[in-house]
Amino acid sequence: MHGALALISRHGYLIIFAMVFAESVGFPVPAALALVAGGAGVASHALKFTIVAPLALAAMLLGDTLLYILGRYTGWSLLGFLCRIAANPEACILRSAESFYKRGKITLVIAKFIPGINTMAAPLAGSMRMRWQQFLRLDAAGAALYILTYGAAGFLFRDFLAAITRGFQAAGRAAEEVVVVAAVGYMAYRVWLYQKNKVYRVVPRIQVEELARKLASEQEDKDRIVIVDVRSHGYYDQRSERIKGSVRLEPNNLEQELKLLPKDKDIYLYCS
Amino acid sequence: MLREKGFNAFVIVGGLAAWRKAGHPLEGVPQSDLVKLPTFS
Repeated sequence: MHGALALISRHGYLIIFAMVFAESVGFPVPAALALVAGGAGVASHALKFTIVAPLALAAMLLGDTLLYILGRYTGWSLLGFLCRIAANPEACILRSAESFYKRGKITLVIAKFIPGINTMAAPLAGSMRMRWQQFLRLDAAGAALYILTYGAAGFLFRDFLAAITRGFQAAGRAAEEVVVVAAVGYMAYRVWLYQKNKVYRVVPRIQVEELARKLASEQEDKDRIVIVDVRSHGYYDQRSERIKGSVRLEPNNLEQELKLLPKDKDIYLYCS
Repeated sequence: MLREKGFNAFVIVGGLAAWRKAGHPLEGVPQSDLVKLPTFS
């Protein structure tokens, strides 16, 4: 934290721009601290408000716009990727999409203050095809609120900046500990999952070339084949593709779905 | 689970990515299988 403050005092505008931009595109960079230091710099006349504020706003809008475009062009893939770690990816995607649809506008305004959500809001707005002007208006409001809040804190409490920095340091240490505990917990969960699913590794496997040969073989063999798509989440994009002739099986609704599968045929399962 | 329930199931190694990489035929997902998520448009 001290390092960041020292950098800002030396390189001012460039560092504020870089840190705010980096945070807005998802890097774990303390942009809030840069803004607090920027506010203190304005108060001590080392930096100019008329440059700091527009610069920070431009950096944030630029980063958010890039993520918005990413969401727009990747469709639901990004949300699908992020929901892969959820216990029920299908429910995660549906819930996230519905929640953002209901509260997306206010979420965009306050998202900057919520770690995790701040990086997700812009690409979700893109995925959900929010109009560009509307996105820009709401995002600019959120960015301005964020920049002014932290900038004002630095401006008003410049004399207490050292104390604030110590507070940030303490919070940073606590956050580091939380991250370490969470990482260890996640690894333990993955090991437990691996052990639990060991039994399923005995399921016979087939290479794609072998399956392709079977499909190209005599009609009798071909008719015994059922290819089943068991990807953990459904099809959300018009451009989704699957293996030709395969059928969809929803893994989160297995009991019902199994009633539709024939027991007298060979079932070939695949995911992404 | 499929095997426990009496299905003669196999797993395709590498999944869709391997199938696509090998250049085997794909098809677009039928409209009826698409899950409609809410959008602002």
